[in-house]
Amino acid sequence: MPERIVPGSFKKKHLAIFQDLGVLEYKKALELQIRIQQEKIDKIIEEDYLFFVEHQCVFTLGRRGGKENLTVSKKFLSAQNIDIIQTNRGGNITYHCPGQAVMYPVIDLEKNKIGVKDFVYGLEEIMKLTANDYDINADRNKKNNGIWVGNAKLGSVGIAIKRGISMHGLALNINPDLEPFSWINPCGLSDISITSIGKEKAQSKSMGKNYDFSMDRIKNSFIKHFSSVFDYIIR
Amino acid sequence: MKEINDLNLPEDLKYTKDHEWAKLSDGVITIGINDYAQDQLGEIVFVELPETGDTFEKDDEFGSVESVKAVSEIYMPVAGEITEINEGLEDAPELVNESCYDDGWIIKVKPDDMSQFEALLDKGAYIDMLKG
Repeated sequence: MPERIVPGSFKKKHLAIFQDLGVLEYKKALELQIRIQQEKIDKIIEEDYLFFVEHQCVFTLGRRGGKENLTVSKKFLSAQNIDIIQTNRGGNITYHCPGQAVMYPVIDLEKNKIGVKDFVYGLEEIMKLTANDYDINADRNKKNNGIWVGNAKLGSVGIAIKRGISMHGLALNINPDLEPFSWINPCGLSDISITSIGKEKAQSKSMGKNYDFSMDRIKNSFIKHFSSVFDYIIR
Repeated sequence: MKEINDLNLPEDLKYTKDHEWAKLSDGVITIGINDYAQDQLGEIVFVELPETGDTFEKDDEFGSVESVKAVSEIYMPVAGEITEINEGLEDAPELVNESCYDDGWIIKVKPDDMSQFEALLDKGAYIDMLKG
């Protein structure tokens, strides 16, 4: 007998190539995404890409800016050897540094029929599930997009879409030095704090359990959850 | 996201593959983003507009909409000169969600070549593209 196909359930999986860029300067990762996005628009390459990366310390601004949410002087930042980079993504000012896991999906949302709000919701879901892997109860917060533990932000999203192709993505604090976040109003919000998976585990009573904060561990969580949330085969 | 059958796609408008709509009236084309676009973008918090007098080629990026931390570019259905922008969107970008074909219009354009307007998709062809 022929296999019965239930209408609507016959859905092909999409395919993405996962690349671990290691620790890479923000500008270089930005250039790479712009190049891949353009090559996808020009149909030179068909594959969707997921770039996994940690950045050296850097502040980045959204398309609409966010410099006004810097609470220290530029001179101070220069002395710390930290750049401020204008970008084309949504959202306001944010901070990247080693110890923060970043993933940039350069994928064809249009072709794969993934709506923008569903895409952002899915990226939040990936961070939420990754936090759950560490027994942390993280969730969305109506204050702002991203993922939160109570009133403390654990992970952020920011996206730019050109001709249906995404770039930029998510940033989840694993175990970074959080002090530089106090030099900005993250995402333009002044009444919030920032947290990390490491900080939450240090504060929790569930010590005694050894958690692996390595980027390899996080990478596996991201791959697993991206695959299930967006119905992708990742290679 | 809305199902295709639930989309509000007026018969008297033209559409683009990038989900803009265009309407001709007295030689001027009014342009916005359609119900599919506003629905899949989510809550729009900012609309980046061009300036009156700017000129663009067909398919050029003329602005962007920001929703849920995502900036999406929007494109010219036809080549031409911007004759008017919807300044009301500066204070009320949510009009694009609430009324994408009326109060949420984005720009008005004096087209260079009317045949580009005629070649845009009608409702049926646009729906076929969405289904494809």
